[in-house]
Amino acid sequence: MDQPSSFEDQLSALLPRLRRFACALSRDPGDADDLTQATIERALKSREQWQTGTRLDSWCYRIMRNLWIDTARSRSRKDAREVPEEEGLNVGEDPRDAMEAAVDLKRIMEAMTRLPDEQREVVALILVEGFGYREVSEMLGIPIGTVSSRLVRGRTALLAMVGEQ
Amino acid sequence: MTDDEKFFAWLDGELEPKEASEMEARVAANPQLQRLAEQHRALGAQLRGAFDPIAAAPVPERLRSAVRRPANVVDFAAAKRARSMPSLPQWAAMAATLVLGVLLGTQVPQQGPAPVQIQGGKLYAASALNTALNTELASAPTGDVRIGLTFRDQAGEICRSFTGSAGSGLACRESSRWLLKGLFAAPEGEGSNYRMAAGMDPNLAALVESTMSGDPFDAAQEKAARNRQWQ
Repeated sequence: MDQPSSFEDQLSALLPRLRRFACALSRDPGDADDLTQATIERALKSREQWQTGTRLDSWCYRIMRNLWIDTARSRSRKDAREVPEEEGLNVGEDPRDAMEAAVDLKRIMEAMTRLPDEQREVVALILVEGFGYREVSEMLGIPIGTVSSRLVRGRTALLAMVGEQ
Repeated sequence: MTDDEKFFAWLDGELEPKEASEMEARVAANPQLQRLAEQHRALGAQLRGAFDPIAAAPVPERLRSAVRRPANVVDFAAAKRARSMPSLPQWAAMAATLVLGVLLGTQVPQQGPAPVQIQGGKLYAASALNTALNTELASAPTGDVRIGLTFRDQAGEICRSFTGSAGSGLACRESSRWLLKGLFAAPEGEGSNYRMAAGMDPNLAALVESTMSGDPFDAAQEKAARNRQWQ
């Protein structure tokens, strides 16, 4: 396995995944990139706190999630104002023959925005980011049973929302 | 684990082999469960289909450059801090000496259980101090221990500074407990009135400054953090 040489290289390699998680958390593309930038800055500033040999990705996700919940108050005001616009997302070229897929994409993202924060973060970390229950329990500082029950509620609600149309 | 949770844990590959094969047999015998499993597998695929393009897209320049830009400054600050701050074991020893002198010493009549516990060479808040750290808000003080600042440290844990009648200190979360990072005795013969007039102990202020990452919490953030059990 080729190990990236520097902390910055490893952080750079994580950027695409961090942006993806930021999008799941923040529901708004502009906010997501702001959140990603704040996470990078915090990670660089705290780099000596990261223990070599432990997972940098879990550590960065944790920083991002904490930054996110600490700004909960100003965020909820903004959320109430408008429905997020997927059009602003920088997702690269949108192939024209993928109309149907695009509709599904839009529907599921919209459903995600309607989940309560504590369910959305668990759904994103496990079903999108691919972490295990134990890892998420450690990352969020909650018991594994809580991870499991939030995940059940979140994915059940998502399925109901996606299926309702 | 409820049956629901077990079903999904199986779907996510989180069950031990024995439980997994039991669940597999149950699902195989139950068309309803089979359908549910299919629906949720499809849901997972759909979620990844929606979010993966974000990870596949080019990262905006401002984020790529954010990784590079402040590196030298940060290195410098980190190096400086490493030089000027005592190492952790030293802190623990200093704190232990102080806490035993200040909080358990003869000058403070000891009533009730000790406010600290020593475990594995570390000091943790206990009894009244623990309760104050868990429940008190700087914006609405009610007890003898007053909370000063609440903030996150560089590892993302919540820390709170506090002042009691005999001294002040800083505690940070560690696995659902409050680990004491520093304790500073009030100068001999100087009561809490003097301390409040004089503001934060300069040693504590220095410790807070070197520990804090970002800004201290405002009243609403402090309250929200308490509601989340200081996670």
